[in-house]
Amino acid sequence: MKNNNKRAFHLEKRSRTFHKWCMLFLSVQFMIWSVTGVYMVFFDIDYIHGDSLVKNQQNTIPLQQVQVSVKDLHQQYGEIESLSLGVFIDKAVYRFQSGERFYLVDARTGKLLSPLDEHAAIYRAKHEYTGTGNVVSAQLIEQNPPFELSPKRLPAWRVDFDDFGAPALYVSALSGEVVTKRHEWWRLFDWVFRFHVMDYQDSDVGNKLLFWVALFAITGGVSGLILTYFRVLKPQGVHK
Amino acid sequence: MKWVRWSHKWLSIVVGLQLLIWLVSGFYFNLMDHEKVGGNQYRQTPIQQSSINYTQLLEAKHILAQAEPAISIELIHLLGRPYYLLNHHKGLYPHFKNRYSLYDAYQGELTELSEEMVKALALQTYNGSGKVASVKLLTGPIDDFAKQKNATWQVNFDNQVNTSVYVEAGSGRIVGHSDDDKRFADFFFMLHFMDYGGQGSFNNPQMMFFAFFTFWLSLTGFIWTVHLAKRGHYKRL
Repeated sequence: MKNNNKRAFHLEKRSRTFHKWCMLFLSVQFMIWSVTGVYMVFFDIDYIHGDSLVKNQQNTIPLQQVQVSVKDLHQQYGEIESLSLGVFIDKAVYRFQSGERFYLVDARTGKLLSPLDEHAAIYRAKHEYTGTGNVVSAQLIEQNPPFELSPKRLPAWRVDFDDFGAPALYVSALSGEVVTKRHEWWRLFDWVFRFHVMDYQDSDVGNKLLFWVALFAITGGVSGLILTYFRVLKPQGVHK
Repeated sequence: MKWVRWSHKWLSIVVGLQLLIWLVSGFYFNLMDHEKVGGNQYRQTPIQQSSINYTQLLEAKHILAQAEPAISIELIHLLGRPYYLLNHHKGLYPHFKNRYSLYDAYQGELTELSEEMVKALALQTYNGSGKVASVKLLTGPIDDFAKQKNATWQVNFDNQVNTSVYVEAGSGRIVGHSDDDKRFADFFFMLHFMDYGGQGSFNNPQMMFFAFFTFWLSLTGFIWTVHLAKRGHYKRL
């Protein structure tokens, strides 16, 4: 009995010293983890992903417009792949790939609409955008896309709106589709995530810095829990 | 300073264990084999036979004329045969609620994926050993793909890691592969996200509650540390 008490006393004291010193190095990181965690948890992830920026238009294909046939396309463009017939704003359009290239073709006139010019890209972005703000800029990105745009989506128009959070819609210059969207809350989320996983460049969760800090933090957490047991749950021990 | 010490102690009771779960599961994410947890150990890209017989091919317009109005109609290949895939309600993402119909592009018949077709589609993407043990149509939530909101076939293989291949019922799209390695990681994600209902989300009330109080635990701990440093408690062990 007496032995037990003595050992417990040591465990408490050691935990206290360890916790104190551990947190000298880790308390800032614990702050970063909890602040970034709070940000990610409290902002709805669908909002973060900008789902509320786009209408997700459900216009159905105006059948009477479709004058060009699939066989016409085959005759003109040769072997075609990934063919679809859909809507571009209010026009029936074909989208397809032939060789290495992608095409957007007016299904009534057979006119090639791709690559989109600035006017068409802005028109398309406005058609999908839920906000009321004006377009402040439109920029064609053909190479070296920013982090927020996958290289697979190139070339694409970035259309910026002057609303809260600086939203931007990216319109593919080839398919005319809104391929992604961003606002400051998502851009901030990306940074928040990098700080949460301690990789400030590639958001790689498997990095060595996180390994050592997390390992250290687990021991810090365990020592804290031991203190919780002795100091809060079972406070009748011998301590100053 | 008294309230800082007091709240740090009592907050540690409220969030202590969860904080440890976060640390341990976070540490696991750091260590886990990112290749394995994708669930794609036996996944392969099917070799598509994309040649189309244009004399036999029906026009997209012809199909549209007999079908419900559609937002898009796409020429796809399933098991080497062309089909027209119509989308009548477009979700913002493929895993959101979508409503499709499928027409044979040569015959024009409205087609529903049969169990046999689903099995064959799954096998096209699978290069492991073992046989198909069971095929099930899931209409409710899917444990392996919590975000998938459309009816999906589950094709189960009897291999060592219990691979399941998921095929969307309306479109024939391969939702993905899952296996025991992915399920093991998913268990840790469930813990880290406190996602006990399998919603595939971390925006839940219990998360908000614990995140909020963990923030206060960290803040009071930080203030305490600064206070100790100022008072010279870090001069020697």
